[in-house]
Amino acid sequence: MRETYGVVLPGMNLAELTGKLIVIEGTDGVGRSTQIRLLRPWLEQQGRAVLDTAIKRSELAGKGIQQAKEGHTLGRITLSLFYATDFADRLEHEILPALRAGFVVLTDRYIYSLMARAIVRGADSKWIRNAYSFALKPDAIFYLRIGVDDLIPRVVFSTGFDFWESGMDIHPSEDMYDSFRKYQTELLGEFDKLAREYNFEVIDATADVRTVFEHLRDGVARVLSGEPREPLFSVPIPSAEAPEAAVKKVVEMPAPPKPAALTVEESPPTAQALANAAEGEASR
Amino acid sequence: MKRYGEHRFPGKLFVVEGIDGSGKSTQLTLLHQWLQAEGYGVVFSEWNSSPLVRETTKRGKKKQTLTPATFSLIHATDFADRMEHNILPLLKAGAVVLCDRYIYTAFARDVVRGMDPLWVRELYSFAVKPTAAFYFRVPLDVAMKRILDGRSGVKHYEAGMDLGLSEDPEESFRIFQGRILEAYEKMVPEFDLTTIDATRPIEEQQTHMRQIAKAKLAQAKRLRVAP
Repeated sequence: MRETYGVVLPGMNLAELTGKLIVIEGTDGVGRSTQIRLLRPWLEQQGRAVLDTAIKRSELAGKGIQQAKEGHTLGRITLSLFYATDFADRLEHEILPALRAGFVVLTDRYIYSLMARAIVRGADSKWIRNAYSFALKPDAIFYLRIGVDDLIPRVVFSTGFDFWESGMDIHPSEDMYDSFRKYQTELLGEFDKLAREYNFEVIDATADVRTVFEHLRDGVARVLSGEPREPLFSVPIPSAEAPEAAVKKVVEMPAPPKPAALTVEESPPTAQALANAAEGEASR
Repeated sequence: MKRYGEHRFPGKLFVVEGIDGSGKSTQLTLLHQWLQAEGYGVVFSEWNSSPLVRETTKRGKKKQTLTPATFSLIHATDFADRMEHNILPLLKAGAVVLCDRYIYTAFARDVVRGMDPLWVRELYSFAVKPTAAFYFRVPLDVAMKRILDGRSGVKHYEAGMDLGLSEDPEESFRIFQGRILEAYEKMVPEFDLTTIDATRPIEEQQTHMRQIAKAKLAQAKRLRVAP
């Protein structure tokens, strides 16, 4: 049965949402969109209808956010709420209709990026979790994880530094490099906390594109075949917090997604999954 | 992020609330005039007026794509922009800030549209608690008469047409405003709103408002000594 992270929006009939919601998360420049470009045709070859969507593209607020950011006039709470508006519009007008129609929805980022950015900019973590508590719990969250040292050359040598991705709004006195380093380090730290709390499946994004894709493909195939969820902790997340603190934190949060592995019996991969995997293999 | 709650800034914040046609804007204008004449630095801020968010709200209303969730969030964004750029710095500077509608408008409207009451309250937890929040209490029929006499019609969202209460805009407006009125009444004890009887003559209501405001203005800065 589908769930949200807290409140259910008016008109959001959870029982109708028969599709699958798959989230690709990760910081700026980690290769999320490249992977989605590879996943989509792979899924379509198996006859799955796919919707891919990303933050900042909503009909309602996308343009407004762009304009406001160009002016650099946004307050921190205002920016967080503008993003939340945009997210709600995308959820209600794109994601939910696609899930109702049985699509596989691949989303380039979800509430976690938005929450991490807001928290790094000083938003209260309880406040921001409440704001996004109407979000649907995904079927899987794949986190493309990278360290800041591996991230820097990727960004600098491809697109250069961006004002917002460098957090220049919060470290205006720094040069772009120092600010980028500081901002992305804070952001990655916040992602690691979210990864534990929301049970992300972590993929090492420093590997080459094909290796990352293979990890993702196996993970997605497993989700679609309805196999037990077993987080792919191919990268162990350093445990920065004492276990006590972690437990305390969970109490004040909306319940994290239930690890299905605990409730579903171990079963061998289904014939369908094997067929799908073979087909995927053959098509490449 | 700080949760301001009861603020300790030198400025004062007075807000007016009530259903459409309660006469709250008229009363706020009169209070504004008086405060200025008394020598206070007064600034006015209106609900849904941030230039930053205006285009987005306009687009959503025109195309009628706003849902209860986006309606709620876009108004919260507007409010946050005014809070961060306008209301807070002015209160810090010692101004008297007047708001035509405040968070209670969102609590009433969004909840009537089906949003979770606690979710909306937490969403606005960054808001400063007003020095006084005046609630203009008026029976639905009186307010309806004032509105419909003065206008040719009501707008889509204003009438709550998005809720599918009735095909007839006027009937929808009546049902919607009736529900908002109930929501306001429940908030009077919850938020300790100062109730003004909006069926009384305008001058009488204003005298009442000024008495309450005056008692709260003791330490507020004046730009000049009143004549």
